[in-house]
Amino acid sequence: MNFRSIFTRKSKSSNIATQRLQLVLTQDRFEVGEDSMKKLQFELTEVLAKYFEFTMNSVKMSLKREGNSYVLMADFPYNQSNKLR
Amino acid sequence: MGKVIVITSGKGGVGKTTSTANLGTALAMIGKTVVMVDADIGLRNLDVVMGLESRVVYTSMDVIEKRCDLDKALVKDRRVENLMLLAASQRNRKDDIKPEQMREVCEKLKQAFDFVLVDSPAGIEQGFHNAAAGAEEAVIITTPDVSAIRDADRIIGLLQHQGIESISLVLNRLSPTLVKKRDMISKNDILDILNIDLLGVVPEDTGVIVSTNRGVPLVHNDGSPGADAYMRIARRMTGQRIPIPEMRDENFFSNLLNWFSRNK
Repeated sequence: MNFRSIFTRKSKSSNIATQRLQLVLTQDRFEVGEDSMKKLQFELTEVLAKYFEFTMNSVKMSLKREGNSYVLMADFPYNQSNKLR
Repeated sequence: MGKVIVITSGKGGVGKTTSTANLGTALAMIGKTVVMVDADIGLRNLDVVMGLESRVVYTSMDVIEKRCDLDKALVKDRRVENLMLLAASQRNRKDDIKPEQMREVCEKLKQAFDFVLVDSPAGIEQGFHNAAAGAEEAVIITTPDVSAIRDADRIIGLLQHQGIESISLVLNRLSPTLVKKRDMISKNDILDILNIDLLGVVPEDTGVIVSTNRGVPLVHNDGSPGADAYMRIARRMTGQRIPIPEMRDENFFSNLLNWFSRNK
């Protein structure tokens, strides 16, 4: 922690805005609702959990614009303790 | 042969008309021939922001319905060389014009001008489609808030679907103080989310209100932060490579904090 962070720790509404935007844009771009997104995320996690040890609901999905098309990005936290089963 | 650029945003009130007026004026000031087309049929504003409302006689509707020639409908801005306005009809509705008619007008204008700037209405309906119909490039205006960025994303998708490949972003009304306090989405986060080229950043400038009151675009008063930003954007539009400066925060306390973090 540095000197600056003591003063700025409290106000981070920009982070909240960015996260909300990313979620809403992923839904807009997919043209699906939150339910389908959650289902896809859950099933993706189920498959990954067969091979790696990690906590459920830690997969983050987004659609990223690349030129004229979109790329589906699925991030899941992988570290040394996530041993391949 | 010039190019047709649509200035659009999705959301209303983010500064499309102000940006069109300032970029048009700025481009003319650096020696380009420019015509600004108000595509907001029924809710025209560009003439008022430009201070040219008393001189509008004919509109794009009169040209389309062949009541007058195109060059007769253009209103000349007397403050700068080579700057013209084609006003929108106030008595018609957005769907009184068809995309092909708009394309034809833009096609003719680009034979005679370096830049044809089309000021799009808000929304994603007919008015937007008409405004974009004749354009080969698009400049998206957004402010750093969730709703404006969401709408900008939608508009980018629609423009790409229409085959417009050159799309760039102007981030309007950024407040350096709020970004520093992390209460405003930063430039980099917005670029990361929208993933299009950044044409420029315009800082929050209260001078815009005075300039709109007077009908004199901001770029006529150099030295204001907004005017400088629009001049830089105009130069970039002509192909000059001008870096986007990092914004300086005017807030004393925040500067002090920066100084402490640096000298720790």
